[in-house]
Amino acid sequence: MNSTAAISSQTELHALIRDRFGHEPDWSLSRRLRAATNWFALDWPRLERTPLQKRRLDAIAVYDQPPADGETQFINTGGLEMHLHNNVPVVRSIPEPWIQRGVIFQSLRDALDNSLVRQYLGSLLAEDSDKIAALNAALWQNGVFLYVPPGISETVEVVIQNYATSEVQALLSRNVVVVGAQSRVAITERWFNAGAAHKMLLAANTEIIVEHGAEVQYGAIQQCEKNAEAFIHRAASVAGDARLDWHIGEFGAGLIVSSHQSHLNQAGASTKSITVFFGSGQQHQDYTGKSVHHAPHTTSDMTARGVMKGKARSIFTGVTQIDKGARGSDGRQREQTLMLTDDARADAIPSLVIDEQDVYAAHAASAGPVDRTAIFYLTSRGLTEEEATRLIVHGFLAPVIDAISQSALRDEVWQAVERKIRE
Amino acid sequence: MAAPVLEIADLHIQIDDKPILDGLTLTVRGGEVHAIMGPNGTGKTSLAQTLMGHPRYAVTGGAVRLDGQDLLAMKPDQRARQGLFLAMQYPSEISGVTTANFLRAALNACRADGSNIPLKEFRDELDRVMQFLEMDPKFANRYLNEGFSGGEKKRNEILQMLMLKPRIAILDEIDSGLDIDAIKVVAKGVNSLKGPDFGALVITHYQRILDYVEPDFVHIMVDGRIVKSGRADLAEELDKKGYEWVRSELVRTGTVEES
Ligand SMILES: Nc1ncnc2c1ncn2[C@@H]1O[C@H](COP(=O)(O)OP(=O)(O)OP(=O)(O)O)[C@@H](O)[C@H]1O
Ligand SMILES: [Mg+2]
Repeated sequence: MNSTAAISSQTELHALIRDRFGHEPDWSLSRRLRAATNWFALDWPRLERTPLQKRRLDAIAVYDQPPADGETQFINTGGLEMHLHNNVPVVRSIPEPWIQRGVIFQSLRDALDNSLVRQYLGSLLAEDSDKIAALNAALWQNGVFLYVPPGISETVEVVIQNYATSEVQALLSRNVVVVGAQSRVAITERWFNAGAAHKMLLAANTEIIVEHGAEVQYGAIQQCEKNAEAFIHRAASVAGDARLDWHIGEFGAGLIVSSHQSHLNQAGASTKSITVFFGSGQQHQDYTGKSVHHAPHTTSDMTARGVMKGKARSIFTGVTQIDKGARGSDGRQREQTLMLTDDARADAIPSLVIDEQDVYAAHAASAGPVDRTAIFYLTSRGLTEEEATRLIVHGFLAPVIDAISQSALRDEVWQAVERKIRE
Repeated sequence: MAAPVLEIADLHIQIDDKPILDGLTLTVRGGEVHAIMGPNGTGKTSLAQTLMGHPRYAVTGGAVRLDGQDLLAMKPDQRARQGLFLAMQYPSEISGVTTANFLRAALNACRADGSNIPLKEFRDELDRVMQFLEMDPKFANRYLNEGFSGGEKKRNEILQMLMLKPRIAILDEIDSGLDIDAIKVVAKGVNSLKGPDFGALVITHYQRILDYVEPDFVHIMVDGRIVKSGRADLAEELDKKGYEWVRSELVRTGTVEES
């Protein structure tokens, strides 16, 4: 029961789920069935500045199972690395010494017996908030489970690569990451696909648990083709004295709705996030960054910088929330967007939700056109307008891109920027 | 290459339908330094920016040729590559782009054979020119004009000019905001390019810089036109008598209508 153009009832969808996922543990199967019920009851996400009606998501064959594109090869790339093609793990590498030390790196479907997966799947990102969340919860195809036990002080480097071939109608992914106390992890995640005439729905949820004193760098770069309608959400819970750095580069997809949120749950927890985005053509990009201070003496620092050209449109909503009792917390955010064309549009919407007196909170936001006088100045020295624009874009993005501590990711982000400039 | 010639013939320009230049004619040749003086708002910067190709100004009449070629048909970068340079009255600040990186990109863009200047050669030349202009070498690695003082920006314009070695340079109030020592340095920079292959158009309000660059011709511009031309002593006379003197002379000779 693979091609399923028309599923019109809950009964049919339940039958499909039993058929496809019947071998999963009861807890997982019943979760899926519950979510399937919600799928029919819920609406598409309601986003103030991103109306979805016109995008005709209804026309996407979301029930289709992507065709397998290879079989799992266990190879040793020297690090932890997983490549998922159409959500089938085609490359999996985990060096023996890490296995010995208790690191677990599996496809999520293979890890359903692990009690941590059961504990954390769906713990940070709701499965009943809207139709996309329910769809993903009901039909998620695969993803990655990473567990790093406590006390691993040398950084565990992890690469997760997600690719979809042109046949794919819907790529539905879930990832769960658990990093034990005092351990260090650096993750680089990549998203891309082969373009196609039809739209592809990409829904991916990642939940990250950062235990006491751990340090996690979560880097992600998204370079999907413009047929992708992507909904990528990431959420983390950060324990006492732990630290989470987000490095996110968003470049592809026709529609990208993306969020990352950090819950600072105990004193000393901190998060820093850098989002770099570049829109061109008809791209529509709607990002949300959220730092939630639940405990005293927690710090957050969110930076977003974007460049828009063509008729691209972006929205960046930054939310810094400081709960009552989170004394001595420090939450900051700044968003800046540069528009290279008159038809491009960018909104930066910072918001501070502060319920505690004794805190520091600040935000700054700006969105403006490229300075024509500056372009003239540079061209008057012999640089072409393109080269002048490139220099200005470079100068604008350099302070944030160069702050990405994951060097391979940093280089990829620069390359993506160069491609977008030339586009 | 033959000595450069910049010919401005009966140039009319507008900004937002407001006429700014009203038939300006002037020729600058290699080996010559021309000065233009004139009251505020008379159109000197507009002339300079139009010559460099600023898109804000619309040319409504006349012609400009550089070495016989139609300058107005060229984009600003093409004009630069033909050897035209404008030191701007208000240089832009470019965040995130160092002066050195920018200059190297500009030099490479202006090289006729499409080759890139070797890094060492570039560095040596930059060091030499900065030393000549008594500039702190740190400026090379600072973002272009960002946070520069008024005088530092002007000096940076001259640095760019000496690095790019233009054939015709227009200097728009390169002396404004400069202390007396800085004026001497800037003038030294201009004078170092003097020769048959270099012509300059120096826009200024003050006699002082002209004491050091010694113009061959001085033009007085009023209401978008050159109303009086002479030798260096014209600037001295203007300095003493002021624009009222020019205006009253014009009225007397019937060159302009009394307003
Ligand atoms: N971008 C602009 N928008 C509107 N008006 C302008 C603009 N640029 C110049 N003008 C007008 O054109 C006229 C000439 O200005 P311009 O800057 O060329 O004068 P100037 O002779 O250089 O003056 P100054 O000696 O003060 O530098 C002025 O009336 C000025 O207000
Ligand atoms: Mg002026």
